[in-house]
Amino acid sequence: MEQEKTSATTAEITAKGRTTGAVRCMNCMERIRPPLGAKTFKCPHCSFEWRISWPLPKFPRIRGPVWDVNRRLTEEAMSKKGKGKK
Amino acid sequence: MALDRKIAYINLTTGEIETKPIPISIRKKFLGGRGLDMYLMYNHIKPGIDPLGPDNVAFVSAGVLVGTLASATARTHIAGKSPLTGFVGSANMGGFFAPEMRWAGFDHLVIKGKAEKPVYLWIRNGEIEIRDAENIWGKTVTETQEIIREELDDRDIKILTIGPAGEKLVRFANVMTEIKNAGGRSGMGALLGSKNLKAIAVRGTMDLKIERPAEALEYNKRVITQVISAKVSQTQGRLGTPFIWGATNSWGGIRTRNFQANQFEYCDDIEPESIDEHAIGMAGCFGCQVHCRAKYIIPDGPYKGVYDEGPEYTAQGALTAEPGCKNLVNLLVGNHLLNMYGLDILETGSLIAWAMELYEKGILSDKDTDGLELRFGNDEALIEMIHRIARREGLGDILAEGGLRAAEKIGKGSIKYLIHVKGMSNLHSDERPTPALALGIATGSRGSDHLRSRPAIDLYGLPEPVLRRIYSQPVAYDGPISSHWRDYEGKPWEVRWQELCYEAVDCLGICKYHTIFLGPNFPNFEEWSRLLYYNTGLEMSPLDIWNVADRAYTMERLFNIREGLTRKDDWLVDRYFDEPTTRGVPAACGVTIDREKFAKMIDEYYEHHGWDENGVPHPETLKKLDIDKEPSHML
Repeated sequence: MEQEKTSATTAEITAKGRTTGAVRCMNCMERIRPPLGAKTFKCPHCSFEWRISWPLPKFPRIRGPVWDVNRRLTEEAMSKKGKGKK
Repeated sequence: MALDRKIAYINLTTGEIETKPIPISIRKKFLGGRGLDMYLMYNHIKPGIDPLGPDNVAFVSAGVLVGTLASATARTHIAGKSPLTGFVGSANMGGFFAPEMRWAGFDHLVIKGKAEKPVYLWIRNGEIEIRDAENIWGKTVTETQEIIREELDDRDIKILTIGPAGEKLVRFANVMTEIKNAGGRSGMGALLGSKNLKAIAVRGTMDLKIERPAEALEYNKRVITQVISAKVSQTQGRLGTPFIWGATNSWGGIRTRNFQANQFEYCDDIEPESIDEHAIGMAGCFGCQVHCRAKYIIPDGPYKGVYDEGPEYTAQGALTAEPGCKNLVNLLVGNHLLNMYGLDILETGSLIAWAMELYEKGILSDKDTDGLELRFGNDEALIEMIHRIARREGLGDILAEGGLRAAEKIGKGSIKYLIHVKGMSNLHSDERPTPALALGIATGSRGSDHLRSRPAIDLYGLPEPVLRRIYSQPVAYDGPISSHWRDYEGKPWEVRWQELCYEAVDCLGICKYHTIFLGPNFPNFEEWSRLLYYNTGLEMSPLDIWNVADRAYTMERLFNIREGLTRKDDWLVDRYFDEPTTRGVPAACGVTIDREKFAKMIDEYYEHHGWDENGVPHPETLKKLDIDKEPSHML
């Protein structure tokens, strides 16, 4: 029982895969690394652009989309999707 | 020991009070908090009773780890038949009330009957007194607490109370403690109001004996490291729960203008970073290291200078995107008023947004609104409707009855625009792009629910091996798993797993932000097994705890079935299937929930539970869980 209670738990093992300084692109879900202090960042994989905030130093988070850019990209993608269907 | 706290039966009609110990056999089956409350509910509430009548029973409890050396064990649970839905009523709140109740000698209160005039309960070190509350009837949540503390001459008293909304029997009134800790959803405030029970005050100095204190402390340090090292905790400790907004609104998961869009565009002023500019610090609940509750002072307008706490992510959506309002001060004021009235923020904001859509579609007229221009984006109308609902004035009186009753009264096809499950409004999240989240809200035992089964980590695009590792313990699972939030496959198991994970924390009394809710690396069944052992001496494996949760969840199902629930209640409103989304990233845009695939998800979800195709537990499921003889009236 004691042995059982000291070994690493599943959650502790999962935590070993944690990354810092990166966020997931909310469109393609790839990990992206904005330069320190960047206010916006374009995903190198899918071109969607995000507003970035830094709640803690070296700790980025996506605050929201760069509205005009991402709206245009979505409209283009949806338009292609519509054409594809035809 | 930490398991010696009692259960008290309080009859407000007769004034009789009886206390009993809780047998260890019952503990092992239901632990405490929500789990044991569900057992009590099924045993003490007669089928078909009026939820606002004297036959309903209110249950107030602490989880079995509350007040021990385990972190974030602050949770109070309140239960009863819901005045809003007629099904399971269940609310859970943080703060400091539950630990104090345990130190005062009690784990569970069973409150029956109805007092002749307003009363409050005063519980101190094993003694319970019913006291006159006429001087606090009509007072706000914070005023009530101040008066009671003054009256009993003790600043350390912890108080659970209802606000004016609960007194007025608004069917979605909250039970509250401190300033903003809310036992929301399902109208437990109205239940207390119907009993003329304004508040419960507790003060306790009876030690909880920790079984293995040195090991409990040492192990808890490890759990604390696990929790506070998570990125989610660090962000939450900085920005509070509104930090979630950045992700969900970015991809298109925010229900906007009732249900007319799935993204609130150009809303920078109400984003968490903007709210944070007015925060004056963060606060935490008992035993928590995350501190996710923002403290703020209203910067402008008629309420300038007023202190409050929050707003939470829920308030952020209910008071901005849903009614289409982008004004930050309005959000802070609305949050403050709802806290003072003791109203469910989510339900109130959702119903006002629904009424706004009805007004814009001509279903509600100026006559119905007494001249109020109830349009999306009208900040003043939003605030005015909060007052009217709490005071039950005009259209507010109709909305105070909850969505389904209001739709019946308004008529004219208004129900088509109501966004609910089982009569309870949905969070401001838009689940059309996310089948897993849609299944969670459709099947929730207390109605549309983002807190009782949501696999939020489904949105993170985690690799399949990681998801499989998380979701394959403490019971093996070798079915499908999918990383993409657009998929239907494998999601019923995620919902089922999260359902039991959240049920378990509610039995233990631990905050959901300390388990796998917003992040994948948080403590769960394995850690709880150890915490339970060191703190209480109860030797229960992770699988044993899973089984407790399963048993308690199945009791909720049995209660609902007894009250008339059928498979058709585990369903979404038509708009989820018929109106495609219009915003967000391409994967979230132009999508609906597929009816056929969704029905199959429900079949699979029922199978995972051991329920038949109608959602009724098989006899062998009840036998396996040892609840085939309920109600057993053991307590």
